[in-house]
Amino acid sequence: MPRDITVGQFLPGHSIMHRLDPRTKIVLTFFFIIQVFISKSAISLSFLIALLGVFIACSQVSPGKVFKGVRPMIPVIIFTAVLNIFYGSGDPVLSFSIFHITKQGLFTGFTLMVRLTALIAGCSLITYTTSLNTLAAGLEQLLSPFKRFHLKVGELSMTIAITLRFLPTLADEFDRIIDAQKARGAEFGSGNFIKRIKSYFPVILPLFMSAFRRAFELTNAIECRCYRGGEGRTKMSVLRLSKTDVGAILLFLLAFSLTIIFNVLFPFQY
Amino acid sequence: MAIIDLININYCYGAGTPFEKQALRNVSLSVAPGDYIGIIGHTGSGKSTLIRHFNGLLRPNSGHVLINGKDIWAKPSLIRSIRFQIGLVFQYPETQIFEDTVAADVSYGPRNMGLSKEGIDLRVHDALQFVGLDDSYLGRNPFRLSGGEMRRVAIAGVIAMKPQALILDEPTAGLDPEGRHMILEQIERFRRESGTAVILVSHSMEDIAEHAKHVIVLDQGRIALSGTTTAIFNQAEQLVHLGLDIPQITKVLLELKKKGYPVNTGATTIDDAEQEIMHLFEKGG
Repeated sequence: MPRDITVGQFLPGHSIMHRLDPRTKIVLTFFFIIQVFISKSAISLSFLIALLGVFIACSQVSPGKVFKGVRPMIPVIIFTAVLNIFYGSGDPVLSFSIFHITKQGLFTGFTLMVRLTALIAGCSLITYTTSLNTLAAGLEQLLSPFKRFHLKVGELSMTIAITLRFLPTLADEFDRIIDAQKARGAEFGSGNFIKRIKSYFPVILPLFMSAFRRAFELTNAIECRCYRGGEGRTKMSVLRLSKTDVGAILLFLLAFSLTIIFNVLFPFQY
Repeated sequence: MAIIDLININYCYGAGTPFEKQALRNVSLSVAPGDYIGIIGHTGSGKSTLIRHFNGLLRPNSGHVLINGKDIWAKPSLIRSIRFQIGLVFQYPETQIFEDTVAADVSYGPRNMGLSKEGIDLRVHDALQFVGLDDSYLGRNPFRLSGGEMRRVAIAGVIAMKPQALILDEPTAGLDPEGRHMILEQIERFRRESGTAVILVSHSMEDIAEHAKHVIVLDQGRIALSGTTTAIFNQAEQLVHLGLDIPQITKVLLELKKKGYPVNTGATTIDDAEQEIMHLFEKGG
């Protein structure tokens, strides 16, 4: 059954963003997150939004699709923003009993909303434009220096890849079991709290059973293909940085330093 | 009066998204008590979507689903009571087992109906009888049973609700020939003794030919063909065109006929076909 999960969904394509090396994308996403956090003033925030616009254009993913990924997070974003409106001190705009809405609070609340939206939209771009396998391969490469500290990088990236691969499968399974129990008269989400939790037992238990069954089957399948952990494994497609990657990194560095310059030239003040 | 009436059902997955897919188009059919209907169609033809409409798991975009003459979507809050009247057994139903004893799992449906303790016990006993498991199974752990036995426990879990119609989606998938045969025999006996209508969805043309009285062929969400089992399997070319197969016995008889032998290709069971061929020998010899 098609579900309404858009985050973490890969949309195949041939845009600039799609062709970038996964390592570039992971590192740049990381820097984008930092940039979101240091963009506090109106000017650097506008710059951030423009930058996000460029990213979306480079990815050839429709903006509607990108912001659809933000939708499930809207309650959290609004909650955080509202909390910030009441928090903090400054020039009061409105006040009743112990609550004070300040100009600064309103500003923080609003910018926080924009920043969180940009953050989620920016991070969703990497999953829209990178297949999970590529992402896992990139992560493995990036983490490989930590092998020195006995971090089992190969196993770790395999685990991540398997987890991501089976999420939609388990979601399908969940829907199927819900339908099967409904067909036997199960009722979900009614009655008191304890009753509600209990009503999900007939779904959760079979789901666990099936997850374990799949795990055992997968273990056998992997062993039959002679997988013995990451030690000494070579890659079929070796990741190489292209000119596009270098260009993207340079441009991003430029944008990043611009943000810092904005912050220095126009220090953040209310 | 018919138990189930579908009138011009249309259903579309993901309406308004790029993944929009029309799964059912103007499907109308009627199921009377004691019917044995086979539904065939290749993967993605809408079989699973269709059976989810019988007990209100899916709501059609347009059209009506009538159970005993009443539109089940007239009062959506009462949809749960429909599920007790129309039993639905999904593919690999053993994966829905969750209790630690056979008795507890089979009684899940009847418990949801709010029956008395005695009523539940009686239904569990009867349902297990129908699937050929005696009372010694009541206290056993369902997860320790064989695959075929687990399947029968799961089917008993639906039979225990005493539905007026029993719908089974590939009930024999993944079982050995003996297990397949046993389950189909038990379903047939249940139908005969209880008067329950049975709807069987299957990829096995042999199973459908042997048991179903009426066959509905789905193609791209439409009812492509509908008629008696003999009539449907006589349209071999049409079935092959729809990506389906015909039963092996029908194949043999059709070949014989093509070669000029006077056989009746309408045989649906192996016994009938055998007789048909023996006749030929007698006449020829």
